[in-house]
Amino acid sequence: MQQLFSAFGVSWNLLIAQAVNFTIVLVALWYFLYKPVGAMLAKRQELIAKGVRDAEQAAATFARADSEAADRVKAADTEAEQIMTAARDSAGAEKARLLKEADERAAAIARDAETRAAETHARAQRESERDIARLAVLAAEKVLQERP
Amino acid sequence: MHSGITVVLKAEHLGSVLGFPVTNSLIMAWVVMALLITAAFFFGRSLTLVPGKIQAGVEWAFEGAIAYMADVLESEKLARRFFPLVASIFIFIALINELEFFPGVGSLGLVHASTFLPILRTPTTDLNFTLALAMISFFTIEITGIATLGFFKHAGKYVNLKSPLGFAVGLIELMSNLGRLISFSFRLFGNIFAGEVMVLVAGYFLPYFLPAPLMGFEMFIGLVQALVFAMLTLFFIKLAIMEPHEAH
Repeated sequence: MQQLFSAFGVSWNLLIAQAVNFTIVLVALWYFLYKPVGAMLAKRQELIAKGVRDAEQAAATFARADSEAADRVKAADTEAEQIMTAARDSAGAEKARLLKEADERAAAIARDAETRAAETHARAQRESERDIARLAVLAAEKVLQERP
Repeated sequence: MHSGITVVLKAEHLGSVLGFPVTNSLIMAWVVMALLITAAFFFGRSLTLVPGKIQAGVEWAFEGAIAYMADVLESEKLARRFFPLVASIFIFIALINELEFFPGVGSLGLVHASTFLPILRTPTTDLNFTLALAMISFFTIEITGIATLGFFKHAGKYVNLKSPLGFAVGLIELMSNLGRLISFSFRLFGNIFAGEVMVLVAGYFLPYFLPAPLMGFEMFIGLVQALVFAMLTLFFIKLAIMEPHEAH
């Protein structure tokens, strides 16, 4: 064993020196290479995940806004229809009321005219009766005066 | 100065600092470390949320490796815990192997007492380096096993007194796990060292023409060996955290 080691020049000092060399390389690469690269990868992954999350959120917000807009338009449509119906209804009612009022007024005028006509007729009759009576009296007076 | 092929099995001592031996493979390891840490430092600071091409590539590899490890270990958490170790093994070995034939490596050197001593030697062609990595991998695997299953359950994989057959299986398991130290270190060392020797020999067969494609091939081998080392560490971690099979 000793012969083998001396043939290959193996000695504890050199073994330890090379082991220390490798350890230094390991630590240096760890500190200068693996850690920053790993951190950068993690950072980028986080950033991409955040980007995807944001995009999803934006899409969801957009979809919500879209459906909300559709809802609003629908509601506005319904409301407009309601207003139209109400307006049409109230216009009909007004028309009916006006017609009725006009009818009533016409009826009243007709009634009035009738009453007035009847009154005129009655007065004329009364006057003519009075005239007739007076004429009768005058005629009777005349007859009586002629026959003395 | 020197003629013929000289194959030196061990890393040459260039001197010592405070009684501590300094070999050319140690110097090369420091050079690669400096390159790697500098690159990692500037890259890690230049990260942006919108990645450039290099950053996108690194992130792709990062995520792919963790996803694959999570697949193997069947746990995202464990994958993240062991990723730094496995990735560092791969990156360090791969960069060392890719720089194996970089101009100057093995060719720049000093002449000392009429022998040529290269200043830079690929650390993976030095058993000290591969054995050190093998030990780190080995201890990580065993400690992970103990931490996940508990000491006695983990030890029960090796020392099984329930039946003679179980005892034999446990012994084989123990030997094969200890054998990993050797297989890990010699696989990497052997592959890369043999590649270097092959390129050296090829230079004598057909100078200028043959070595270049072989160097390309050896760079591919270097990448594969780095991957093998990292993947085997991963698979053995997986084996260590698995419950031992109940006796039927």
